[in-house]
Parts: sequence; structure tokens; C-alpha cells
Amino acid sequence: MTTPLLEVRGLDKSFGPVQVLHDVAFSAYAGEVTALVGDNGAGKSTLVKCVGGIHPVDAGRILFDGDDVQVSTPRDAGALGIEIVYQDLALCDNLDIVQNMFLGRERRSGLVLDEATMEEMAERTLSGLSVRSVKSIRQQVASLSGGQRQTVAIAKAVLWNSRVVILDEPTAALGVAQTAQVLELVRRLADQGLAVVLISHNMNDVFAVSDRIAALYLGRMAAQVRTADVTHAQVVELITSGRSGELGIAP
Amino acid sequence: MRAGPSQEDIRRHNLGTLLRHVHLGGPISRAELTSRMGLNRSTIMALTSDLTAAGLVREELPRETGRAGRPSLVVRPESARVYVFAFDVGPDRLAVARVGLGGVILDRRESVRRRGPFDLTELTGELAAAARQMRRKARHDAVCVGAGAAVSGGVRRSDGVIRFGPNLHADEAPFGEALGRRLAFGLPVSVGNDANLAALAEHSRGVGVGVRDLVYLHGDVGVGGGIIAGGHLLGGHDGYGGEIGHMVINPGGGQCACGSRGCLEAEVGERALLEAAGRSPEEGHQGRDAVRNVVDAADRGDIVAQEALRQVGDWLGLGVANLVNLFNPEMVIFGGMLREVYLGSAAQVRSRMAVSALAPQREKLRLRTSALADDATLVGAAELAFAHVLADPLEVLARAGG
Repeated sequence: MTTPLLEVRGLDKSFGPVQVLHDVAFSAYAGEVTALVGDNGAGKSTLVKCVGGIHPVDAGRILFDGDDVQVSTPRDAGALGIEIVYQDLALCDNLDIVQNMFLGRERRSGLVLDEATMEEMAERTLSGLSVRSVKSIRQQVASLSGGQRQTVAIAKAVLWNSRVVILDEPTAALGVAQTAQVLELVRRLADQGLAVVLISHNMNDVFAVSDRIAALYLGRMAAQVRTADVTHAQVVELITSGRSGELGIAP
Repeated sequence: MRAGPSQEDIRRHNLGTLLRHVHLGGPISRAELTSRMGLNRSTIMALTSDLTAAGLVREELPRETGRAGRPSLVVRPESARVYVFAFDVGPDRLAVARVGLGGVILDRRESVRRRGPFDLTELTGELAAAARQMRRKARHDAVCVGAGAAVSGGVRRSDGVIRFGPNLHADEAPFGEALGRRLAFGLPVSVGNDANLAALAEHSRGVGVGVRDLVYLHGDVGVGGGIIAGGHLLGGHDGYGGEIGHMVINPGGGQCACGSRGCLEAEVGERALLEAAGRSPEEGHQGRDAVRNVVDAADRGDIVAQEALRQVGDWLGLGVANLVNLFNPEMVIFGGMLREVYLGSAAQVRSRMAVSALAPQREKLRLRTSALADDATLVGAAELAFAHVLADPLEVLARAGG
């Protein structure tokens, strides 16, 4: 059994009197897509934000490559190589693709920005991901389609030698053709050795690209299973009732 | 007693192997070739200078290596000079491309084919005219070294006769010979089944690079496929193997164009999906766009379209489960319109597989969509044409008048 690249054990998190996560365990492996599924309010976003250093955890451990780590700020997460792509993508419309990819982390040579290096790195990252849909990397983000924006946000996340990329509903607002492109991109990220966590409500998307499925139910991890071993109906049951046959939370 | 390979055989083999590295892997340094081919530096130098003299490759100083010492020369394919013609004959599409060594598409032309009777003279005439036009536009020193065609149907390996092509309405058509005659380039045209060739293309240039055991499923009007086992395409005794689309999965099921019932093609092909979605498969409402429309409608919440995809996905999952049990592939690739169908019905496909495929077989199985997309068949046809060149580079070039 290989060691998960990212592992969470016994995670508890409360907001005031409301306990959002109860003793949550979660693992993501290098080279695999792990789908994180659950109903609205099951705690998916909270779990991701704990891993990303946005919310401090109340109890529990986070392990990276088998070692205990402290993730207290997003900067800690970034230093480990954990990148999160949020649903709103956090791109600036008035900047071009390169500027967006390096936003807040610009390369400098002396006092000025090293545009040439940044351009080359952006170019290399996009072509490494076989992204051919953008015409020019000096195009303003405002002029891009939804799928292209998602692509830029994902490329931005992998630019930093990241090892874990967490994608929050990357296909939610996209049409079919663009969804297909983004799903193929998600798959390529994992095939290149990254651990990818995909949050999605769309069961076809989940089954199309994932190797494992982790189902949260009311703040508890109902089950972590291999996608090849379960059916759609079982996953839906895990999401809606926390258990399905032998799988899930014991009654 | 049979003699061992002669000096000349070995040299031919080495030239072909070196050219294959450059053709499939792109520009590569002499040093890298030395280590990949396990030959010594002077042999590599002799081989590259032979290929350079023949005009198949050229050597250049690399831009920057980031390493100390004298940089090793980089060997590049002469893509603009040495090329083949690739043809693709699908039920809805005709495509012709001029493809340079290294797999670069230098020029291409596509036209819509109307579904109707198969007219060999008209078809080969149209393809040959396009190729001749492209040839006139090519660089004056460019050399055509081969021609390959991908055809939606069963093709006899030995002479390129289309034995059966229910979706092309072709039957015993001597396509390879006719196209060769119309081209009048003095070159034979190699012909293969489009899905077989697409499988090889994905294996050599697409998502299946480095994967020795894979199953490729190609959806067009019908469903075709290619099985690659141990790095080789399973063609069977006469080359008709790999007809995945005519695996019967639903005895007494839908009528198939081949005459049987309940073939995979009859349950997951274009017509099955469109009918299940309640769309009349008439002229103008068929083809890739019609399939995409169903997937799109399902995504937008159309319950009839969703149910159609569920049904088709279930049969597709059953078909793939059978293939996985039989061949234990490392990867299954969905190409053509099955890419959209798989992405739109993956929950069904994989649920069915979880139930019907054996656990050890599906444990490490990777399900992927085609990386070459709509170009897979055309790229495969080009690779078929290049196969002769790679087998004996200098001889082929000499014959082509280079």
C-alpha cells in the first residue's frame, strides 16, 4: 500500500456551536484523482479550506508525504505544494494570462519584472498540459471563455511545482465541450504525477476521471472507495444517507 | 542452414530504428540516441550521417543545454521535405492530409461526405484530386514517400480491398488499387480499418504512448475498435480482427447494419443514441453534432436525453467489461463520438463495469479519452504510410526519387 501524498486524520472543526467536521479522515494519492463528494453542507469546502490553511483546525493531524505538517496559513499550504482552485477562480479580468498566473508572485530581475522568464514559464506550463485552446498568453482574461478561464486557473495552480491540486467544482458553469476539455485536463494533471482532489456534484464527471471517491455525509467521512469498485447507486446512497450496504457509517 | 542477418540487414534495421526515434519522439540529441539505442557513438554518427545524406534528417546545434561541455548535435526530422499522403474515408467525412516525417500535418483538406451509395470512381477521383493539388503546393524539393488510407470498414490486408463496409455501403471494393491508380504517383496505397489505425495512432502519438496493452473504441456512425496486446495490434488471420462493434451484447436486441442483432454498435452507435433520445435520425439530424446535442441536452436537464445516455452507457459498460475480462488491458480509450458519450455517461459505464468486469482485471485499468480526437484516424493512416519508410529508409527514399 502506497503512502498517501496528502492525508488527514481525525479532523474536527467547529464554527461556534456548530460542529462542521467530525473526526474526518481523508487521503489523496500522487498520480490519482480523488473525487470529494457530498451534499450541500456536508463539509467539503470546509475540509478543503482546513487543508489549504484558511481555517485553523480544532483537532486532528495533516500528513504530507507521511510526515506531520502544520498548515496554519495559505502560505504554508503553498510551500508544501498544495494549491486550491476555487469556484470563483480568483482571476483578474483586466490582466492578461501571464500576469494572472504570476499575480502576487511575480518574477523580478533586479528592480523590474522579468517578463521574458514569466512568459516562457507560462508558455511551458500551458503546453505541458497540452492546452491549445488559448490563442495568446498575452490575451486579457476578460476575453476568455469559461473553459479557458478554468484552464488558466488550473495552469496557475500547477505553475508552482505543486504536488496536490484541489479543484472546487471546476465544471460547474461550463457547457459540454468545455467540460470535456477541463475533465481531460484534470486527468492529465494526475497522469503527470500530481495528486488531484476534485470536488463535484456531477456523478458523470466523478466517474469519468476519478480513481477514488471520498463521500462526506453531515460532516463525517462516510466512505473512501476505489471508483472501479462501486456503482453510481452506491455513491448516491453514501451521499444521501451516509451508508450503502457494507459501506459507510455504521448505524 | 539459414544464415544470420547480414551486415546490410543490421544497418537497415539500425537506420529504421534511429529514424523511428526521431519520427515519433521529435528532435533528439545524438547522446540521447546513443543511450536509447544502446549503440556506440561512432555507430550513431555513421547512421545519422547516412540519414542526413539521404535528406531524411538534419543535425543542428541545440539552443541551450544548461550543461557544461561541447553540446551534442540534435537530430531533427526533415518534416517539410519528406512526407506522405494520409486519407480518411468515414461515413460522413473525407479527409486528405500531407503529413511530414515526424507526424507534422503540413496541409489538410476536409469535405463532408453524404451518406449514400458507395461510388468508387467518384470517391477515389475526389481524394486523388485533392492530393494532387496539395502536391503542387508543396516545396519543390519535397518528396512523397508513401500513401495510407483509413477506411470505415473491414479491409483485406494484402490488397486493400474493402470487404465489408455497412456504414459506407461498400462491398468488395478494390479501394487501395483504385486510389493508387488515380493518384498515379507510382506509389502503392496501404489501406487499413480506421479504428485499427486510430488505435495505433493513440498508441504511438496519443494518450496510449508507452502502454503495451490497450483497447481503443472508436465511435462514428458505427463502433469500431483496435486491440493492442503486447505492443502489437491484434489483426487476426486476415486482418479483420478487432471488430469490437460487432460483439453481440444483447441477443435479440436492436437490428445492426451488419445484418445481426444486438451488436455493440446497434446498442451504443449513433442511431441507438438518437433513437433512444427520441430524435429522428434523418438527413441533417445525424453525425457528431447530433450526438453532441444529445449530450448537451442531458447536461441541461433534458430527462429524455439523460435516459438515452444512461441506456447507452449501460450497454457500453457491458461491452467494455467483456473486453476487459478478455484482454486485461492497461488502458481503454474512448475515441470518436464515444469520447462525448463516455464523458456524458461515465457513471453508468463504470457502474456496469464494477458489476460485470472481474476485479483483478479492473484494478489497475485506466479509462481515458482519445488525445488525438478527430485526427486519430488520419494520423493512423499517415503512420501506416510511414511504416514502409521506417522499415527501410534509404531504399524507400531512393525509389521515391529523393
